Amino acid sequence: MASTGITKREALAFRKGVVNGKEMTPQEREAMLKPFLPPAPVKTSSPDRSTLKSPKSPKLSQRTTPKPKPKPTPVRALLHFLLYSIISFIFSIFFRFRRSWRLFTYKVRGVLRHHHHTPEWIVNDVKNVEQLPKHVSVVLDHREDDEDQGNAGLEGLVQDACEIAAWTASAGIPLLSIYERTGVLKNYVPQLHAAIQKNLESYFGTRRRPTLTVKAPHTISYSPPGTPSSEPTENGSTTSRPHLTVLLLSEHDGRDTLVDLTVTLSAMAQKGDIRKEQIDMNLVNAELSDYVSSEPDLLVLFSPTVVLKGYPPWQLRLTEIFHLPDNKGVNYQVFLKALKQFGKAEFRVGK
Amino acid sequence: MASLHKHGISRWFAYSPPVAWTVRQLRELLIGALRQGPIPQHVAFVMDGNRRFAREQHIETVEGHNMGFEALARILEVCYKAGVKVVTIYAFSIENFKRSKHEVDALMELAKLKLGQLAEHGALLDRYGASIRILGNRELVKPDVIEAIDKAVSITAHNKRAILNVCFPYTSRDEITTAIKSTVEQYSTPLDSLQTPSKRTFSESHITQQIRKQMLEEDTDGRSAPQESRSTSPSSLKEAKSVEGGRSSSTTTAINSSDKDDCHITAPNFPDPETITAETLNEHMLTAGAPPLDLLIRTSGVERLSDFMLWQCHENTSIVFLKCLWPEFDLWQFLPVLVEWQWQQKKLQEQQKSRARSKAE
Repeated sequence: MASTGITKREALAFRKGVVNGKEMTPQEREAMLKPFLPPAPVKTSSPDRSTLKSPKSPKLSQRTTPKPKPKPTPVRALLHFLLYSIISFIFSIFFRFRRSWRLFTYKVRGVLRHHHHTPEWIVNDVKNVEQLPKHVSVVLDHREDDEDQGNAGLEGLVQDACEIAAWTASAGIPLLSIYERTGVLKNYVPQLHAAIQKNLESYFGTRRRPTLTVKAPHTISYSPPGTPSSEPTENGSTTSRPHLTVLLLSEHDGRDTLVDLTVTLSAMAQKGDIRKEQIDMNLVNAELSDYVSSEPDLLVLFSPTVVLKGYPPWQLRLTEIFHLPDNKGVNYQVFLKALKQFGKAEFRVGK
Repeated sequence: MASLHKHGISRWFAYSPPVAWTVRQLRELLIGALRQGPIPQHVAFVMDGNRRFAREQHIETVEGHNMGFEALARILEVCYKAGVKVVTIYAFSIENFKRSKHEVDALMELAKLKLGQLAEHGALLDRYGASIRILGNRELVKPDVIEAIDKAVSITAHNKRAILNVCFPYTSRDEITTAIKSTVEQYSTPLDSLQTPSKRTFSESHITQQIRKQMLEEDTDGRSAPQESRSTSPSSLKEAKSVEGGRSSSTTTAINSSDKDDCHITAPNFPDPETITAETLNEHMLTAGAPPLDLLIRTSGVERLSDFMLWQCHENTSIVFLKCLWPEFDLWQFLPVLVEWQWQQKKLQEQQKSRARSKAE
C-alpha cells in the first residue's frame, strides 16, 4: 500500500465516495483532490507542452510568468535530470546483465535439449504437451549482414525455414505459416520446396518423409507431382504419410490486402453489386481466410522483443504470441518452449 | 496491493500522512525524471486480471473491477504527468457480453457512475487537459449509459493536450470491418453533389453531349450508336438507384441520383477506388488522428491481443506482457517497462544512425 502515496481517508473516499460515514459532494471531492493535481496549465506555462503551439514560446513564457511555481524550477530540473541519468545508467547495466544471463541459460538448455535431427526426439519433447496448435506461424527476419551465425540473406532465410518446417512436421502440426516482411521467399517457391523436402528427408528418411505443399496467398500451391502421398510402398499398401503445408506470408498480406479488399468492395458497391449491409465481419473474415491465411493458433517470434513488423493484423485476433525475451535468431528451444506454453494456455473468449 | 488483507503496523505505517506525503513526492520526482527521456506518444493497456485478483483476494468480482478502476486512475495520472499524449484502454470487449448478466450489469453501472462523477469535475479534468473518447460499437450499449458517455465526452471535448480512448464495447475486427464499410460507403457516394460544380468550369457530361450533337449533325446514319449508349446508361443508373433507395439510409445519395436523373444521362461520377490506400483506411479507424501506437501493455501474463488494436499495433508497436494482475499495476510496475522502452528506443536510434553512416560511406 505504501506505493500509492495516499492516506487511508483518501483511499476510502475514492473507493466508496464516503468520508466519515457521509456521502461526498462534488465540492468536497474537488477539495480533497487539490494536492494531487498537476499545476493549472493556464498559469504555469506547462514547460514542454507549449513547444507544440509555437516554437519560440517556452522560454518566453517561462520568463514572463515566473511567480506561480512555488519551487525553483532549475533545481527541480537538475534533480530530474540527475535522477534520470542514474536510473537509465543502472537499468542499462541491469538489462545488459540480464541479457547475458538469459542468453547463457538458453545456450545451456539448448545443449541439454537438442533435437539431434531426429523426429523421435521432438515427438518425445512434445509428448506431454496437452494441446498442440493446428496452425503455427513464425516470423523470420531478412538480415543483410550476419552479426553472429551466418544466417544472413536469402540463404539464411531458407535455412531457417527448412529447420522450422522439419520441427513442425515432427511435432505433428499440419500447417505452418512463415511470415517475412519483404516477401522475398515468395519468389523462390519451387527452390524452397526442394530445400525443405531435402531437410525433411534428412530428418525422417526417404520413406517416412511427410508430403509437402508450399504456397503463398494468391498463387497456386506448389506440390510437385513427383511426391504423391499415395505412392505405394514395398508392401503394396499405401501408408498415409503426414502432410505439411507451408504458407508464405509477407507485409503485403496485411494492410495492403485489406486495402485491396476495400477497393474491390468499393468498385462493387459503385456498380451496385453489393449493398452496405452485406459487408460484415463474416464476409471479411471469409475472404481473408480463403485468400490469405486462417487465424494461427500460435505465433512464435524469434526476436528479442514483441514487435509484429507488419504481420497480417486480421489473423492475429486470438493468436497466442510467444517470444523468449532477449533471444536472437531461430533455434529449437524457442519453438519447443512456445509449444509447451501453448499447451498450458487456456482460451476463454471474452470470459 | 498484495497486502490488502494484511493488517497491522505496515499498513498503518503506509497510510500515515507523512509517509504518504513522502511517497507522493517520490512518485512526482520519478515521473519528472522519466520525462527527461523519450516518452511514448500513444500507450494502450489491456486491463486484464481484475477477476483473478478478486478470486485470489477472496473478494467479490465486482469489487475486483473497482480495484481495477483505481489502478487505472493511478496509471492515467502517471501517463499524463509523464507526457503521454494518447492513452487507449480496453475497458470492455464485445465478447464480454457473454459473461454473467450480473457482472455485465455491474460493469455498466461502474462505467456510468465513474463517467458521471467525471462529468461533475470538468474543471479538474482541464488541469490534465485530457479529453475522453469512447471507441466502440454504440449500438450495443444501453441508452442510459450512452447518455453518461455523451455527457463525459462533451464536457471534455475542448481539451486538446491529451486523449483518453476508452474502448467500450470494442473489438478490433469490428473496428476494421466498420472502417472498410465506411470507406466503401464514402467511395460509393457520387462525387459531384455539393461543391464540385464550382470547382470545374466545364462539365464532362456537357462536353459529351456536345460531341454527340456534332456527331448527329455530321452523319445521320451513326445515330443508332449514341442512342444505344443513352438507353443503357439510365437503366443501369436506375438499378443503382433502386439499390440505394432500398437501403434508404443516407438521404444525400438519394438526392444525388434523383437530380442526376433529370439533368444527366451519364453514369454517376464516383471517386476512383484505386486511390484507396492504407492511410485512407487508417483515417476510418476509431483511432484516426492519434499518433501511432508506441507501446501496448497487457497484464496478467496472457500473451494474446484478444482482438484489441490489431490494426494499430501490428507494425512497430512494442508489445509488453506483464505477469502482474491489473489491480496491482502501478508506477512501480510501469517504471521498468518505460525505462526499458526508452533504452530500446535509444538503441534503435543508434542503429539507424550507424546504418545511415554506413550507407553514406
